[in-house]
Amino acid sequence: MTEVSLLSLVKSYGKSIALKGISLSVGHGEFVSLLGPSGCGKSTTLKCIAGFEDISDGKILFDNTDISRRLPEQRDIGMVFQSYALFPHMTVAQNLAFGLEMRRVPKSEIATRVARAMEMVQLTPYAERFPKALSGGQQQRVALARALVIEPAILLLDEPLANLDAKLRDEMRGFIRDLQKRVGITTIYVTHDQGEAMTMSDRVVVMFDGEIAQAAPPEEVYNHPASERVARFVGNANILDLAVTGKDAAGSDLALPGGGALRVDSPAPWANGRLRVMARPEQIALTDPGAGHLGGEISKRYFSGGHVEYHVDTQCGPLVVLGPTTQTVAEGQTVGLAFDPARLWPIPDPKAAAQ
Amino acid sequence: MKRLRSSLLIAPSAALIFLFIVLPYITVLVMSFRAPAEGQPYGEGFSLEGYTHFFNESYYAMSLPQTMFLGLLTTLVCLVLAYPVALHIAFASKRWRGFLYGIVLSPLLVGIVVRSYGWTILLGNSGVINSTLRNMGLIQKPLPLMYNDFGVVLALAHVFLPFMVLPLLSALQAMDPAITQAARSLGASRFTIFRRVTFPVSMPGVQSGCILVFVLAISSYVTPALVGGMRVKTTTLLVVDALIDQFQWPFGSAMALILAVSAGIVVLIFARLTRMKWT
Repeated sequence: MTEVSLLSLVKSYGKSIALKGISLSVGHGEFVSLLGPSGCGKSTTLKCIAGFEDISDGKILFDNTDISRRLPEQRDIGMVFQSYALFPHMTVAQNLAFGLEMRRVPKSEIATRVARAMEMVQLTPYAERFPKALSGGQQQRVALARALVIEPAILLLDEPLANLDAKLRDEMRGFIRDLQKRVGITTIYVTHDQGEAMTMSDRVVVMFDGEIAQAAPPEEVYNHPASERVARFVGNANILDLAVTGKDAAGSDLALPGGGALRVDSPAPWANGRLRVMARPEQIALTDPGAGHLGGEISKRYFSGGHVEYHVDTQCGPLVVLGPTTQTVAEGQTVGLAFDPARLWPIPDPKAAAQ
Repeated sequence: MKRLRSSLLIAPSAALIFLFIVLPYITVLVMSFRAPAEGQPYGEGFSLEGYTHFFNESYYAMSLPQTMFLGLLTTLVCLVLAYPVALHIAFASKRWRGFLYGIVLSPLLVGIVVRSYGWTILLGNSGVINSTLRNMGLIQKPLPLMYNDFGVVLALAHVFLPFMVLPLLSALQAMDPAITQAARSLGASRFTIFRRVTFPVSMPGVQSGCILVFVLAISSYVTPALVGGMRVKTTTLLVVDALIDQFQWPFGSAMALILAVSAGIVVLIFARLTRMKWT
């Protein structure tokens, strides 16, 4: 098991800067996801760790050894690609054996290790097949086994599930996570799918514009996003811009349009004397009109099996609310909205953070 | 009804293939078994003389291994020269790729006669190369650069190089660039990646490029005629000689068929040797 540290990693292509000084430490056996929209630098970070991109400044350490200047083939990494990148002219067994041959492992040992790896990903019957004769999910399992059979220091995964269909993707999520836990390998996983990052990771690193916006466990990122942008990227977020009416050591009193009042455990209000608070759709309850903290009118109603999604027009702007299927509220109906003050999250002021 | 309509749809192409491929083959096949005659293309009745004459006269029979040798050597030279070019273009930036593509294709815009004649100007005894070397005092007698296998293979390789580059290029471009990265992450050096991944994965291109160049080289007439100056006897030259100069249609047809069948056998053996189970 290896610890990976990125120290002020900078990557620039001429004038454009892809990574603006990334610092991150991934612990022994930890599963960390790099999450962000395309162009945020998550793939570049992974390529820098793998050695496919030279870094412009900073350092990459594996267990306190600086490997920044090493060639990819000398870094002892296992990598899984979005396109699987299997060798098309080799059978499954030959694909798995390739990395061991490069490491000059004795032939008899190669055979046992390849057999064990194929068992691990449940592909033993397919040993003599060529990649073309396998389904997408099977190919991805071969790619995973090929990366792991060499027992690398770290495992890097670059959007490995992006080419699979939805159902298979859900299966593979669990499969990869279980396998990673069993092997106990330090893993860095790149994805633009927040659901994937949430369900699989010990820690999610949200990136925007070549910078880390937040690095925290999934629950923390979801419930306590560091910025409005993180809040909106990770799941659905209702953000209310509210006036602060009173404040003491324990929290702040907020006024809602229409006379409602809320109290949140709060840090300092924003510079303009207001506060922006986030409520996730499932943290808001629909009540009778007049009740709750805020009034509104249902503009859209979407039934999606497990729950119902309501779009509600309010004086704080349009909000999204998830309700149980047992409750039936029609489009056009006036409702009240009740917040759970304990779960409201006051978003930190970016200007205050900058000071 | 549906069947009738779909067979109507293929009728035009079927008619074309029959008229211009099947029928000529049958005509040549029949002609090759005709009896030879004096003063006219062919005589009454049938005979095997076209074939026996070819194999009994070493002047003719030896042209076959000579042609195959030239064809194989040209193919090999093309492969060795074209592979680095294709590799370079495949990994060049988009802007450069179009430019380099154009350079590779540009010789095809100049007629084959002009290009072959160009080589005679360069390679001749009083050609550019020999006269320059002589003027510099490096040689006394001109180097034998043409009217031999060397000159012919050189010119053929030049003429057919694009036909090797293009299939190689498309095979290399079809390759997922991530597989070389995967190989590196697994610990392979650049040379090992070429030997164990890039080259084998480009085999479909190697195969079609080689077959294309080989078939074009052994059947080419203009280049061996001009650069070889009738001193390099390829079967194709003899076929034309028999048909047009000696006016012996049965013999010419027999030779043409012998060449076609031999080429077919060589191609089959090559395809068999380079068979890929993975495609």
